[in-house]
Amino acid sequence: MGFTLAVLGSFGAVIILMAAYGYRISAKTAEDFMLGGRTIGVVVMFFFVLFAISSAWTFYGFPGLLYTKGPGYVMFIWGSVAGFAGLYMFLGPRLWALAKINRFLSPVEVLGERYESKALRLILSASILAFIVPYIGIQPLGVGAGFEALTGLPAIYGAIYTALILIVLVLLGGMRIVAWVNIFLGVVYMSALLGSLVWVVSVLFPDGGLVQAARIVAETRPDMLSDPGPGGTYTPIVLGGTFVVGILAFSWPHVAIGCMTARDKSLFKWFPLLVFIFGGLFFYILPFIWGSLVAPAAMPLADLEALAAGNGVELQVEADRVVQTVIKRTLPEWFGVFVLLGVIAAAVSTAAVQLMTSSVILSRDVIQGILKPDASDRQITRWARWSVVIIVLLSLGVSALNTGAMALYLTDVSVPGFAQWAPALVGGLLWRRGTKQGAIAGTVTGVVYLVLSLLIVVDGNRILVVGHPVIPSLLLNTIVYLVVSKLTPRPREEIESQFFHEVDAYLQAETSGR
Amino acid sequence: MVAFFVDLSAKPSILYTMTEMTRHTAGRIYLLALLLSIIGFIAFLAIGGTGVSASGEPVLLFGWMTMPLVLGVAFVGFWLISYVIYFFFFWPYR
Repeated sequence: MGFTLAVLGSFGAVIILMAAYGYRISAKTAEDFMLGGRTIGVVVMFFFVLFAISSAWTFYGFPGLLYTKGPGYVMFIWGSVAGFAGLYMFLGPRLWALAKINRFLSPVEVLGERYESKALRLILSASILAFIVPYIGIQPLGVGAGFEALTGLPAIYGAIYTALILIVLVLLGGMRIVAWVNIFLGVVYMSALLGSLVWVVSVLFPDGGLVQAARIVAETRPDMLSDPGPGGTYTPIVLGGTFVVGILAFSWPHVAIGCMTARDKSLFKWFPLLVFIFGGLFFYILPFIWGSLVAPAAMPLADLEALAAGNGVELQVEADRVVQTVIKRTLPEWFGVFVLLGVIAAAVSTAAVQLMTSSVILSRDVIQGILKPDASDRQITRWARWSVVIIVLLSLGVSALNTGAMALYLTDVSVPGFAQWAPALVGGLLWRRGTKQGAIAGTVTGVVYLVLSLLIVVDGNRILVVGHPVIPSLLLNTIVYLVVSKLTPRPREEIESQFFHEVDAYLQAETSGR
Repeated sequence: MVAFFVDLSAKPSILYTMTEMTRHTAGRIYLLALLLSIIGFIAFLAIGGTGVSASGEPVLLFGWMTMPLVLGVAFVGFWLISYVIYFFFFWPYR
């Protein structure tokens, strides 16, 4: 116990020292705090974004759902790889150029100016914050569960520890240090994920490694090795829907804002290479192997059911920590502590970027954009810093009330919520005919439908959900956006010039000038 | 119906921008290849390509890679190759 607490204390101290260093060297401007001074290069950006999207979910929720429902959930990953790469290939250069030319600090600000609408800015801010804030809170609570499993202390201690690290890191460091710390956290995280996998496989399956694990699963739970998986969950329609939901990863606000921190345009040429090779063909395969092969072979379902009954939780909640349970039963205690550090690293790396994004939107778009337009640079930086504390407390409170399984919260609530600004975003950057009336009508329609579809339950069924919560709401959002845009007067020529012609010219000039 | 949404005066693309891709042949081929790969991916799922084989046994490549994994690796591999060819040899802003 003493060893565990000493390691956790040291780990937290390293992060806080890095944040303090970041505060000392920062320029104390809003641009520096919110976008790292637009100086993030391709390698830092890659690890910054990769570990921003690889939360405790990668360690808990993802393998947990694979363990109970079979391998079909991996379609979300394949879709996400395409979505993230697509963001940087198709939208990223334009978003970056627009923000750099016009000194925009937030993606919502870009759209607010593109559509010339404060109302839209407020609507987008509110909807993004509403869906991102609970997800921030899930991270410390996820760590709390691992903390409890390892130390036996109440989960709340782990959650408070993580929340404190988060607050200090973001409040002092800003976006640049969040990006740099993500590299440190990512190394810890990846070492824990890969190291634990290799070690557990070598201990439990010495005669053939993964092939032996697959043989065991084929004998004990053969339906785990193909779709539709146990219980027939992943039918072709659900598989296709899960893949499409993954593609919508391009609209995650905390990923989109990353484009605006880029140092130069060459980043958008190199970034997808890392996404495909390192993310798609290596990193995300690790938790897949964990959840679909190693954990099912190492931990019979009956054992996990008994454990869940003993702990008084549902099977899926217990499955969310099956990786940690297998590690705890197989490897030395000290390595379990290292794995917990990996989980904390995963949680902090994601929540910090989400927190940063939320604080930027709250201070730049809500406070300065709507309530106090004449605020100084210094004032909005201060609001951005202190809003961090409010957002963390709020998110913990909201998440504590929602104790469902982690994987489904991401794919069923957060992703559909994030996706509701996608039509306005894509249309705003790529379709000159998109209008503010279309963007407002589409976004409001999509969000209202989504919320109603999640809330209205008749006989245990969400009657407004067709296939997946995101499908009807996003479809409706897009149709309304297109139709209303076409029925309303086109944007002014000045807007077309600023948001299309100038950007094209800038990107072309950047190329010619190299 | 199409004319309602498509601004035909915006030559040659329905989207004003991404013209760096849509205004040359390599870019159009690249976008088409990615689109077809997505359609192919979903079609493969629809025909039950990640299910069990005709004999009722799960298909395992190298003794452990399940079909959902194999399909994804092939998909990402295709995107990777397409991207390298286009972005490093044809992308106007390269």
